[in-house]
Amino acid sequence: MRSESRLASSCWVAGAASGAGSAWWKLPGRFGGAIWSRYAARFFPKRSAAEPILDPAGESDEAVGSEAGGAVRSLVDEMLARRRYALLLRPQLIGNLTDEQLARTREALADGMCLVPAGEVALSSAIEADEDDPQPGRRGPLRVEAYYLDRNPVTNAEFRHFVVRGGYEQMAIWDQEIWPAVLDFVDQTGQPGPRFWHNGRCASGEDNHPVVGVCWYEAAAYARWVGKRLTTDGEWVKAGSWPVAITGRPLLARRYPWGDAMDRGRANLWGSGPGKTVGVDQFPGGVSVGGVQQLIGNVWEWTDDDFTLDAEARDSDDTTSIHMKSLRGGAFDTYLDSQATCHFQSGDLALARKHNVGFRAAIGLGDLALSDGSCEPEASEELEPSIAETES
Amino acid sequence: MNRGVAIELDSFRLASCAEHVPCLICREGNIPGAETCRNCYAPMILAHQALAHKTVPIMLAALGPSGVGKTVFLGMLLDMLSRQSTGLQLSACGGFSVTLQQNTLAALGRREFPSKTPNEPDRWNWVHCQVHRPKHRRPVDLVLPDIAGESLFGEVDRPRSYQVIHWLLSRCDGVFILIDGTKLQNGSLDEDYFTMKLLSHLSELKFNPKSPWLTRPVALIISKADQCESCFEDPAGFARRHAPGLSRICQQRFPKHFYFAAGVAGACVTRKVQGGGQQSVPLRIEPRGIIEPFAWLIENLRF
Repeated sequence: MRSESRLASSCWVAGAASGAGSAWWKLPGRFGGAIWSRYAARFFPKRSAAEPILDPAGESDEAVGSEAGGAVRSLVDEMLARRRYALLLRPQLIGNLTDEQLARTREALADGMCLVPAGEVALSSAIEADEDDPQPGRRGPLRVEAYYLDRNPVTNAEFRHFVVRGGYEQMAIWDQEIWPAVLDFVDQTGQPGPRFWHNGRCASGEDNHPVVGVCWYEAAAYARWVGKRLTTDGEWVKAGSWPVAITGRPLLARRYPWGDAMDRGRANLWGSGPGKTVGVDQFPGGVSVGGVQQLIGNVWEWTDDDFTLDAEARDSDDTTSIHMKSLRGGAFDTYLDSQATCHFQSGDLALARKHNVGFRAAIGLGDLALSDGSCEPEASEELEPSIAETES
Repeated sequence: MNRGVAIELDSFRLASCAEHVPCLICREGNIPGAETCRNCYAPMILAHQALAHKTVPIMLAALGPSGVGKTVFLGMLLDMLSRQSTGLQLSACGGFSVTLQQNTLAALGRREFPSKTPNEPDRWNWVHCQVHRPKHRRPVDLVLPDIAGESLFGEVDRPRSYQVIHWLLSRCDGVFILIDGTKLQNGSLDEDYFTMKLLSHLSELKFNPKSPWLTRPVALIISKADQCESCFEDPAGFARRHAPGLSRICQQRFPKHFYFAAGVAGACVTRKVQGGGQQSVPLRIEPRGIIEPFAWLIENLRF
């Protein structure tokens, strides 16, 4: 987690410090700049002048370099419109915001994300532990630091900002190992974008639906682009089960975000919904204690952790589970109640682009500077080496 | 000169032997108390229930090689139809008819696939149920057995070696033929051969001249499609590409056929088991394409 957020920060800071401008993504490496440009020209159509590619580095160039209000104002407005408020709340940038901009940015954070307090969480519920636990070895409580979690899964409309602004071309926000495969992350018409889109757009009327047909790498790249990251399993389970620690007793955790009993009227699951994704504002009764919507049902959500079937599989050379990433929450076609709980873990290949898998993003409380000009000591310690590396 | 002699009879014994109950599958007469048919070993409860309902149930069968997913498909189909509140619905006739879906869902809930169906017909799960169709007042009785794949291909290779399968295939009104999509995708020709054998066998069955097999509906289901997702988009094209022999025989001999893709597990992994084998583990249950073949068959049956 930390490394991801550091990468996001360092990508962003890299442009600011080096002045690489819009060519910052032409990085040396296995995919040299020239080769990448050739592939990009082939696969990504030219954009009109009215719709320039605005990468994080470009934005930061302007933001840091200009003290004139106009450019910063328009940049801040644009970033807020594209739901990239988490970047604005980074310690390096927050000092450039006016009071009014800061207030709007904080408002965007409060609208879009929920605070999940620090504490312990058990990845298997007490109920499951008493039964035949299909995931032995994953019961011990974990410590989770306070963090912000997206109130809703990332929608098609939000993801479209990423597509339109050239997210699939900004190679620094992608894991280097996946660069060759990024060319294959196209929609039904061969345009870069989620698998089930056409001509770079989702189906009509589904702007407000969770984005699906994205692999784990696309989810992680989007999260970096907006200055966030994917959640860990522990964080995800904590947001849903909202455990309460009582001294000397096991953690009291909810089986579902709304309580311990399944209520199919609160989640879009098999038999309780239309048999497809619904808007992220549907099923409001499924809200968690902390205000997070649709943790259960509608779409499975990628988390940052690897998926392992059980302790034995982790220790064995079971090749099929090596590249699997964890999924949480159940989807509109999840059939069994026992698989739509806060604690149930599924998994899929990191490159799978499924019809019922989406994601939501998170950011550590320590990565944000929530008061003007200040930041958490831990966060500044993390960022300093990144800046130093970039300058060297 | 002989004289007639009056002999006292145990009339209750005579009555029970005088009226034979025909087996629903092979029509062989059986004594009323028989548990299984003396000829084909099909459960006689099916015949008793059909008599009580005063109707001849339609018969469907799920066919395919061992391990293709017949039990999972049928168990999931029955459970979905008995739980859904709109469209086609199903209600079981007798507790034994719930066993298949119960066992299937219990296994899937434990992240296991159901164990292999035994070869003995009296140990198969038979289902007798009523199908409620939208816009039709009267339900339709349906009999649906979960046949063991090895027995099925025993019968195909040596006709009449399994009486119950012979009569079932002769009489059934339509079939689901399951083909393993993952094996097709991996280039295995076995699935193509298995299905061609099966279709050839069916086309040669001459039980009812008024209703030859060639006029009955055949739903060709590419199973495990969750592991080869492209076949959801175009199952017929997938079959043409990966099983050309099957496609041709269907076109030539079975005018009423349609391709479907179905999957139950959203994703699977393999786990090593003791003894050196591997076990497939379903990671989540999200049925796709299960009800559609059944709805198509029901629509294409002649009642």
